[in-house]
Amino acid sequence: MATIAHRGNTVHTIGELPAVGSPAPDFRLTDANLNDVSLADFRGKKKLLNIFPSIDTPTCAQSTRKFNEHAAKHPNAVIMMVSADLPFAQQHFCSAENTHNVKTLSMMRDRHFAKDYGVLLLDGLYQGITARAIVVIDEHDKVVYTELVPEIRQEPNYEQALAALK
Amino acid sequence: MADVLFKGTPAHTSGELPKVGSKAPDFKLTAGDLSEVSLANFKGKKKLLSIVHSLDTGVCANSTKRFNDFAKNRADVVVLVVSCDLPFAQARFCGAEGIKNVVTLSMMRDRHFAKDYGVLMTDSPLAGLCGRSTLVLDENDKVLYTQLGPELTVEPDYDKALAVLK
Repeated sequence: MATIAHRGNTVHTIGELPAVGSPAPDFRLTDANLNDVSLADFRGKKKLLNIFPSIDTPTCAQSTRKFNEHAAKHPNAVIMMVSADLPFAQQHFCSAENTHNVKTLSMMRDRHFAKDYGVLLLDGLYQGITARAIVVIDEHDKVVYTELVPEIRQEPNYEQALAALK
Repeated sequence: MADVLFKGTPAHTSGELPKVGSKAPDFKLTAGDLSEVSLANFKGKKKLLSIVHSLDTGVCANSTKRFNDFAKNRADVVVLVVSCDLPFAQARFCGAEGIKNVVTLSMMRDRHFAKDYGVLMTDSPLAGLCGRSTLVLDENDKVLYTQLGPELTVEPDYDKALAVLK
């Protein structure tokens, strides 16, 4: 369990982010076409998971735009936006904002990903969805960088996350 | 378990809708301001529950507009539009469409409502979301009318549902 803040109030996550150096937990998430995908679908590529509460809120939207801008500079990496938004909302955003360089993945079917990556919020206004976090995974599915953003309303550290993809 | 169709292909729900004549199961769902509401919050009113898979899809959007028009002149009835969309998506939809006469409620925290009402899809591309259903409850939360599907991509029978509220 990790302690962070949301609008200054203390909130808790269900667990800890995967440790740097450990194998990334496998996952099942749902893409824009309602197909389920797992880590194995991105084998051989570097992966950046931008995990956030909802693409329909300002900070999450901003981080999606930022990573979308940078995605073109990282052709060997897959940059994924992971949230509890339904794929329909994620698609609505990406079409409206033309952010087609990033991949959106949804927890529409269950919250297993949120539990396995330790980011499910147990209390506060966002109970049941996720904290804001970054996980960078190398070609061999080893975790090489993580950030659990200490205040949910703040943006993640883009520079460090993108540096970890190099 | 109930049989429905998704684009003509057989699909299944987790259970059965509450029976006509029975008392509607209580629920805990999340409102637009992220507060939790239950049936008791609407005490004394007739209720029309429009359960949809996502407001960001065409048929669900249409039914919400239709029920919104109906609710305009019916102070004795509350229309509850229930889905797995996050409240942020529901608010964005209602804002964009000028929908003010219905209450949107989200399963962002868990899927207990979907299980208790027997509408959780257990297979098909919509697995994890709700099968399209309409319920009418009287002032004492007794179930007066239900409809599930049968084809998830087709609008509910408005005339029959609204006739119960005459």
